[in-house]
Amino acid sequence: MNEMGVTTNSAFLCLFTSASAFGSPIVQMAQQTVNTAIDSLSAALKSNIIPNQEYFLQGSILDSSVEVLLHRLRGLCDNVDTTLETFHDHEMCFSIRGPNNAQPALQLRVRRSLDHNGMPMQLRYIGQPEIGDKSRPTVLRNSIDIGTSNTVVEFLTELGCRKDFEYLAKGYMFRKGRMKITVFKVFKIDETRKMSGGAFESLTALTHSYLVELSVLAPSGQDAIADDMRCFAEQLRPLVQLEKIDYKRLVHGP
Amino acid sequence: MSAYSVNISVEAPVENQIQEITYDGQEIYTPPLTMSEHLTKLAQKIDFAKCGPEELNKEITEIDKNEDEAEQSTAPPLWPWDSVRNKLRNALTEVSVLADVLSIAKDKHYMVLDPVPQEPPELKPMVQVYARKKALAGAASVLLSGADRLKNLQAEALRNRTTPDFHIELLRLRQNFRLKKVSNSIVGDLSYRTAGSKFAQNGTFEVTKAEEDGDSPLSPPCSPNASLSNKPTSALRVTVPSELQGVAFIKVFFQKDQDSLTAAQLNLPSSSTANAIPDMYWQPKLEAAQNVLFCKELFNQLAKDAVQLQSPIPHIVVGNQIIASVLPGIQLVIGLCHSGVSTDGKTAVVPPSSNGHDHVLEHSLHQLLRELHHKNTHHPFPHPSSGPIGPSKRRRLAGPCAADREELMQMTQSETMLEQVIKQAQHINLRDRTLFVLDRLAKDIKDPLITSHWNALNSPTQSCVKINIVAHMYDTICRTSLLIHVNETTLKCITRDGRVIHMSYESQELRDFIMCQVYLHQMTAVQNLAKCMGWQCLANSAQLGVGAVEPFGNASSCVLASPTGERLISVRCEPKSGVHVTIAQSPRKDFFPGQLVKERKWENLGGSFKEVRWDKMEGKNFLNKMELLMASLTSS
Repeated sequence: MNEMGVTTNSAFLCLFTSASAFGSPIVQMAQQTVNTAIDSLSAALKSNIIPNQEYFLQGSILDSSVEVLLHRLRGLCDNVDTTLETFHDHEMCFSIRGPNNAQPALQLRVRRSLDHNGMPMQLRYIGQPEIGDKSRPTVLRNSIDIGTSNTVVEFLTELGCRKDFEYLAKGYMFRKGRMKITVFKVFKIDETRKMSGGAFESLTALTHSYLVELSVLAPSGQDAIADDMRCFAEQLRPLVQLEKIDYKRLVHGP
Repeated sequence: MSAYSVNISVEAPVENQIQEITYDGQEIYTPPLTMSEHLTKLAQKIDFAKCGPEELNKEITEIDKNEDEAEQSTAPPLWPWDSVRNKLRNALTEVSVLADVLSIAKDKHYMVLDPVPQEPPELKPMVQVYARKKALAGAASVLLSGADRLKNLQAEALRNRTTPDFHIELLRLRQNFRLKKVSNSIVGDLSYRTAGSKFAQNGTFEVTKAEEDGDSPLSPPCSPNASLSNKPTSALRVTVPSELQGVAFIKVFFQKDQDSLTAAQLNLPSSSTANAIPDMYWQPKLEAAQNVLFCKELFNQLAKDAVQLQSPIPHIVVGNQIIASVLPGIQLVIGLCHSGVSTDGKTAVVPPSSNGHDHVLEHSLHQLLRELHHKNTHHPFPHPSSGPIGPSKRRRLAGPCAADREELMQMTQSETMLEQVIKQAQHINLRDRTLFVLDRLAKDIKDPLITSHWNALNSPTQSCVKINIVAHMYDTICRTSLLIHVNETTLKCITRDGRVIHMSYESQELRDFIMCQVYLHQMTAVQNLAKCMGWQCLANSAQLGVGAVEPFGNASSCVLASPTGERLISVRCEPKSGVHVTIAQSPRKDFFPGQLVKERKWENLGGSFKEVRWDKMEGKNFLNKMELLMASLTSS
């Protein structure tokens, strides 16, 4: 039975019913005797192996100092012998409203890699971030992501989602154990000069700084990783202060 | 008064409080307060701390006097509390004004509060100069004393050049190994955990300052004068855990099938190397300990694989050896040799016959473990970057590309280290055998020359060899080429005409095949030579069905006719018995008209074939002989 072909569809069903998804542990499931896709999904949910929580910290650094930060990260993170890993991604954010203009709209993000064309596109749902109090070192938010084929944009538009915004992210990626650190610059896309084939000719940087993000994808309940993240963030001070950023406060500011 | 007026009596209300109501309704009032009592009561309500001191004194003295004096003394022309009241009223005014000003200033519409510029304190330059001079002098003295101390230290270090500083040594140690300070001691880590190893054994070592007293343990026992020793001493000493002391390596060798498994512990041939590393210098010591840990992990992993794998002939793990069967009759023995381990009296056991230790396989074992470590740490990065770290590229593509169960199962399977090393061992074995066969054949067969060219680039599990069969001096006439791929247990041979032949590891098969090819080459060469000489090939057959059955292969033959047609040569090649050449000539020499056959013309039918005594024939090799034969038959 073509189990994996059902993946994308079942994930969407789940998105609208409860926050859960297929993730990487399909391999373990494939080794057991599996009856149906729904059975394996519920088994995975029960055993709490699906990484659906994201712990993350953010900060920013000016263009002039980003080289220093990159050197420092290369020294601190794993795999010093390999070259710097760069990435060039295009992210589009879609939203769909329930019937009767129900608030809030469901937001979905589609991300594709521009420098690795063969890789599947990533569809992501990010929940509301939980800032918590001083005892929680990082922001915690629900995060479900899944690989999809190239037809996902068409699929979402057929469902009724509208594209809210899109941007380009270009930068570097590092890894330390389970933690992923990205240092990237956000670019605005000039729609009028979009070349055929999806490539972008002109990019304007939004700011003169790089955004630094430290994130870990983990199943719920593994709060110890947040302390490791905080210790790592301490090592990057005073170059960049990685901290919990509350978006709500930014919206309502002067 | 008028008639409509009403008398109104105005009374003051009862000011005095009712003290008691008697049973007959009579009310008894408390007597009203006398002046002094009233004054006392009022005075108690006022906070005289805020008033001016003169009023305070006046009021206090007024209270202290008796009531008559009080009545008289507090009789300024106006009401006695007038001054107090005035002061209070002024205060109220001030406070109201202040409140109003503040409320107006808060809005910042009409009034703004600005700080009043303070007058700068007057500078006394000379005083400042003296103060600064004093402060600088203090700082300078501190710095000078520090510099003096450092100079002294350096001078001392220069004098005692032979004993390096503990801290410099520690710095050098820290450049190579990870060190950590745990309470009072310095602890280091020489395991491969940061490189991706998941081995549970601890690799911590302790760093201590070497003692500098009389019986310095640094100097070797052979040189009695400890102060001046020729070998370099070290200011720090490392203590390696006992199970990692000594030297270890993995010994890999082949052995022919033995009935009795030797259960002896493999030991290093020379155990003197155990004490050869002096206690002095930490670098070789730590490296040796790290190597011991690596070898232990390697052996542990191989032993685990050996137990878990299911092979037709099960692998045996005995003591510190793993015996795996590579090919029927040949076994691969992998042993962990660790000197410095206190064996309980087994050192007297003579190790088995000094088998050749295969360095290449030991190196590939090390490489395989390093590859395992590498895979543990180097996970591919996700593209786009929001994906999870961990799954491989194929795994990420599995979802969107709808991989089925088979593909997923294939992704999870991977070869264990023991399987890989067995494959490599099998390949080495087969390659050696093939080499041996080809060399033997090349030595035995002189007539067509067999040359083999092995590819310089090959993998641990596959090699290629190209075989050319040519006759000496006739390489332009004919050349037969074969390509043989040597895999782990099979050989694949690709001939020039496109045939692919799969052979097993038995060397006889290869030998037979090459022999067949040699004789086929002879046949082809003869035909090519005939063309050159002008002779015609009348018939040929590569797989001849007549004659005796060959033990392997088939005989081949061809019939050649001279340019004039008078002479015929027939060649038959048999892989087993060699070449037979027979000739015939067209007008028969031995024709006698008899009773049946009367006319002369019948002599033109060709005579019978007569065998040529090939060993007596002149010529260096078969083709040469054929050429000379053809030449002689043509001319005569």
